[in-house]
Amino acid sequence: MNEQLSYTDAFEELQTIVTEIEQGEISVDELSEKVKRASFLIKICKSKLTTTEEDVNKILKELDG
Amino acid sequence: MPEIIEDRKIYTLLEVSQGIQATIARKFPEAYWIKAEMNKLGFYAQSGHCFPELVEKKDGKIIARLDAFIWKTDYLNINKNFKTVLNDELKDGIKILFLAKVEYTPDYGLKLRILDIDPAFTLGDFERERQETIKRLQQEGIFNRNKSLEFPMLPKRIAIISDMDSRGYQDFINVFDAAKESWGYNFFHMLFTASLQGDKALATIPMQLDRILRVKDHFDIVAIIRGGGGELTFACYNNYELSKKIANYPLPVVTGIGHVTNMTVVDMVANQSAITPTKLAEFFIQRFHNFSVPVQEAEVSIKEQARRSVADAKSKFDAEVKLFRSVTTNMLLKNNNAVRENSQSVIRHSQFIFTSAKKTILQSAQNIRKDTLSHLKQLNLLVQNYIPRINNGNKIIIKEKKSELTGIEKNISNMNPKNVMKRGYSISLLNGKAVTNFNELKKGDELRTLLYEGNVVSTVNSISKPSEQ
Repeated sequence: MNEQLSYTDAFEELQTIVTEIEQGEISVDELSEKVKRASFLIKICKSKLTTTEEDVNKILKELDG
Repeated sequence: MPEIIEDRKIYTLLEVSQGIQATIARKFPEAYWIKAEMNKLGFYAQSGHCFPELVEKKDGKIIARLDAFIWKTDYLNINKNFKTVLNDELKDGIKILFLAKVEYTPDYGLKLRILDIDPAFTLGDFERERQETIKRLQQEGIFNRNKSLEFPMLPKRIAIISDMDSRGYQDFINVFDAAKESWGYNFFHMLFTASLQGDKALATIPMQLDRILRVKDHFDIVAIIRGGGGELTFACYNNYELSKKIANYPLPVVTGIGHVTNMTVVDMVANQSAITPTKLAEFFIQRFHNFSVPVQEAEVSIKEQARRSVADAKSKFDAEVKLFRSVTTNMLLKNNNAVRENSQSVIRHSQFIFTSAKKTILQSAQNIRKDTLSHLKQLNLLVQNYIPRINNGNKIIIKEKKSELTGIEKNISNMNPKNVMKRGYSISLLNGKAVTNFNELKKGDELRTLLYEGNVVSTVNSISKPSEQ
């Protein structure tokens, strides 16, 4: 989970996987790997919606500094 | 009258003031239409009078300044007109065309007494400034610059330029709070306090934009938020400098400043603008929805599709297994039957072969016995027939042979060398061997000669061939 993905990248990769799966382009062999990746991306996307890393105090320090 | 002290004519302040008063009254006998900027309205709620500060600027510098006053009754009239035309009360920070008398009183000094203000001029002035700003920004090619910045997929870090006490700010924040509660959306927002109208806005908004620039990496977007207000309060948002700053701003700027009629230039150059702060916040939420909904759909879709893929594969596999089983079962059955049939057939055939062979053998055995018996009988008969004949034959043969033997016996006796030698014949031996030919001998050989009675030993003296005898 150390991978640093922007939400745009995560979102786009997720959409690609969905399209691939929906169009049946993924074999059962790859499926598990893809689903694993997709759930990782979904987790990232969801966390992008619900968390924030910014800190007002840090920004204020930068402003005053 | 002035007093004369030591040759100097000395006036009192009142005398000078009264002189000015008279001059001004003479010089400015009537009311005039004057245009100016009203820096400050100076409304006194208690008395209901106003004491505006009027200026004229050139290139941002004040080149003329005069104080004015509006009596309560005039103010009420003017305000009524403004509300009708501009949907707003008379405010400071606007350009006005007003009817005024120049008044001077010794106690209060020079002041313009405003009798009337034409709201249409103010409106026209806004529009003129608005058009000019638009035109200049377009000519400079920067009008669409902020608009062309890509709006972030998730505008989650927002630098808000607003006023804590503004209702618009509260509305804006409330929408985010509700979104967090309803969907868990977490916006990061930070307030950069600014005045939202008039010259103060023109000073503080750019100042805050500059501050945000220093920490711009922490933000996706800048939102200028204020609640509604009359037309007059929008004047600053048509300002060229502010509009230009926003057009050139490196982060997307969005506005929710509330407007009733025309959009301000700031709204127009902003990346996005909404009619109200609430609407702007809802636009942000929609962005989150646009991101969140496909993610949720993706989750469902991937689960479903994956399940379906696996189920498909399984059912395909099951079908193959079923087919395989049925094929192999069929084959086994078929082979089993064939084996059973063959074995039965083998048994049947072998039984048949055994039976017929047995029959043949039994038959042969009987035949052999029969044949040998009859053969033996015949042979017996034959043997029986021969026995008497053999017995008779033997006797004759024996008699003949007996007489034959007697003759032979006589001959043999006649042939005995003893008997021959008795008649004078002898046998000469050389080295124990009988000599029958002259060429077996040579001169000097020792011969032993056997006689009927005794032996003679002699030496050969001469040899002669038969023809020589």
